[in-house]
Amino acid sequence: MDSSLLQSLLDAIGNFIKGIFSFSPMIGDLVVMGLAAVVLMTVAAVSFMYLTYAERKIVARIQDRIGPNQAGPFGLLVPLADGVKMFTKEDTTPTKADRWVYNIAPLIIAVFALSGYAVLPFAPGVVGTALNVGVLYTIAIGSGAIVAIIMAGWGSNNKYALLGAFRTVAQLVGYEVPMILNVLPVVMMAGSLSFIDIVYRQTSFNGNPGIPFILYFPLSAIVFLISGIAETARSPFDLLEAESEIVAGFHVEYSGMKFALFFLGEYVNALAVSIIFSTLFLGGFAGPGASVLGPVWLLVKVAAVFTIFMWLRGTLPRVRVDQMHDMNWKFFVPVSIINVLMVMILGKIFVPTEQIAALSGTGLVVGHGGQAVIMFVASIALGAIALSLAGRNARAQRIAEERTLATRMAENMLASNRAVATGK
Amino acid sequence: MQQLLFILFSVIILGAALMVVTTKNLFHAALFLILSFFGVAGFYVLLEAGFFAVAQVLVYIGAISILIIFAVMLTRGMQSMTPRNSQAVTAAVVCGIIFVVLLLVFQPAIISIDFSRVISTSTARQLGGIPWANDPAFTSKAVASTMTDDYIRAFGNALTDPSQYAVPFELASVLILLALIGAIWVARERRPFEILAERAEISRELAEEEAADAAAAQPAPAPTPLPEAAHATATQSDGH
Repeated sequence: MDSSLLQSLLDAIGNFIKGIFSFSPMIGDLVVMGLAAVVLMTVAAVSFMYLTYAERKIVARIQDRIGPNQAGPFGLLVPLADGVKMFTKEDTTPTKADRWVYNIAPLIIAVFALSGYAVLPFAPGVVGTALNVGVLYTIAIGSGAIVAIIMAGWGSNNKYALLGAFRTVAQLVGYEVPMILNVLPVVMMAGSLSFIDIVYRQTSFNGNPGIPFILYFPLSAIVFLISGIAETARSPFDLLEAESEIVAGFHVEYSGMKFALFFLGEYVNALAVSIIFSTLFLGGFAGPGASVLGPVWLLVKVAAVFTIFMWLRGTLPRVRVDQMHDMNWKFFVPVSIINVLMVMILGKIFVPTEQIAALSGTGLVVGHGGQAVIMFVASIALGAIALSLAGRNARAQRIAEERTLATRMAENMLASNRAVATGK
Repeated sequence: MQQLLFILFSVIILGAALMVVTTKNLFHAALFLILSFFGVAGFYVLLEAGFFAVAQVLVYIGAISILIIFAVMLTRGMQSMTPRNSQAVTAAVVCGIIFVVLLLVFQPAIISIDFSRVISTSTARQLGGIPWANDPAFTSKAVASTMTDDYIRAFGNALTDPSQYAVPFELASVLILLALIGAIWVARERRPFEILAERAEISRELAEEEAADAAAAQPAPAPTPLPEAAHATATQSDGH
């Protein structure tokens, strides 16, 4: 793909800086890498600021009110006001809290959340580091943040914080499983763990079909989206850290800047999940038109996905913690495993081109479009079967519950009648 | 540059490992263990095996460390545990012996560190400039040829090829399945009759213990009151 405008611009800046440090190329490299990291972090942090503003406005509109509009025109300076508020709050530390653990936990969450941006491609050739295991790196970063949550819960010297931390960790670790299982079909189709290869597979460059993976695996995309929402502990899965439940969970003892870092970690994670979803399933920076428009297409896709996140937050009630675990282990994981098996088998039977059939020796050649249609139909069929089975199961459970409730009520009435009769 | 990174990661790993075994707070020990796992991941990156570095973070830090932390937190008396036990001296002696044995096995490597190669900026794929054995198979040329950029594919092929490592892979998955089934069985929801049976057994054991205690405590005070009791009953029967 020809290099985009953004890549040429960044290359020019990089070469200029390396020219300054031409006496020692090692220092020049380090300075350029440091500058790139700072730019990435600034992009993530500034988007976090205005994401909070967008979220408050959109959720307000869904709830039929206006949202913040006093600080600055249309409330655009609200993030700055929030920042000032966070800075000037008193920085408390509970007594007998483990000082090191308590103070380092928010740092670690922020670091891990921001490190996830290093492998995301923003335009052709514009990526922090072109890791060939990018997808796995993203998931490993997500699991690194879990350690920070335990540290926060334990370091607060507060029973409720510890319990909240345990439950949050159970949720996060549980929803990693369907997340990884649903990335597998994408990785299998693209043949690589690198985000750049996955994006190129969804463009029409160099013989690739221009079909985004959401048209191949809609079920995987939906389950991945839901797991992503649960991973970042956003509504409707925020039972464990909402202010009105378990006293705000693991960050109850944090105030001021440290709480701001937790807040930043949550929103930066949510934005990272949106970018990852757009890259894996919607095609990332691919889009019609010149490759100059790459970042614009990515922005449009990420905005759409994040709007879906905010929409779900504004409309759905919270999921109870046992319902959430039920849904995960009894529905998502089996469906994801069957999905992976199905994609494996169908991918071997129906191959897109002659060359791939020759490589593995078997396969009906149906072309890229044919393969996409077959995978799409199979995915939808699996989703329909799974949902109907789950619905039948839920109805049977509800009927059983109502029956036991009715019998218990009848027993109570009989007992009270008997008591009244003998009492007289 | 590579040597600098090697020294940095070594300091992290060894320092964190030292803190794991010497710190008094068990939770801090678990956190230092996590730090040393990060250092090992860094080593994997130095060896240009990125997949294994990320897998190390994902598995060790993302799963095993969390398990260790949960186990530590559910231990009673965690704060007051002393870091020493009575076998510390024996353990130190055995570790010293193993260290000396390993030093003798790697003897040619330690003696022939070529310091001119240590601070090089080449992309040689050897760890820290040390030729790890005099065996020509371990020289940098041989190592460089096995870790090509396609190593993930080779790894996948090795895991599923019946002539390579497919059998250990399947055995490992069977082992994990056994552990999973065991965990679910141990932590299963008990039915009412099972709960009642367990309670009956516990109360039976407690009653047996109490009977054993009472029988053990009986013979001591028995002899002395007997003559007086016999005398008392004799006088009472006389009084009738």
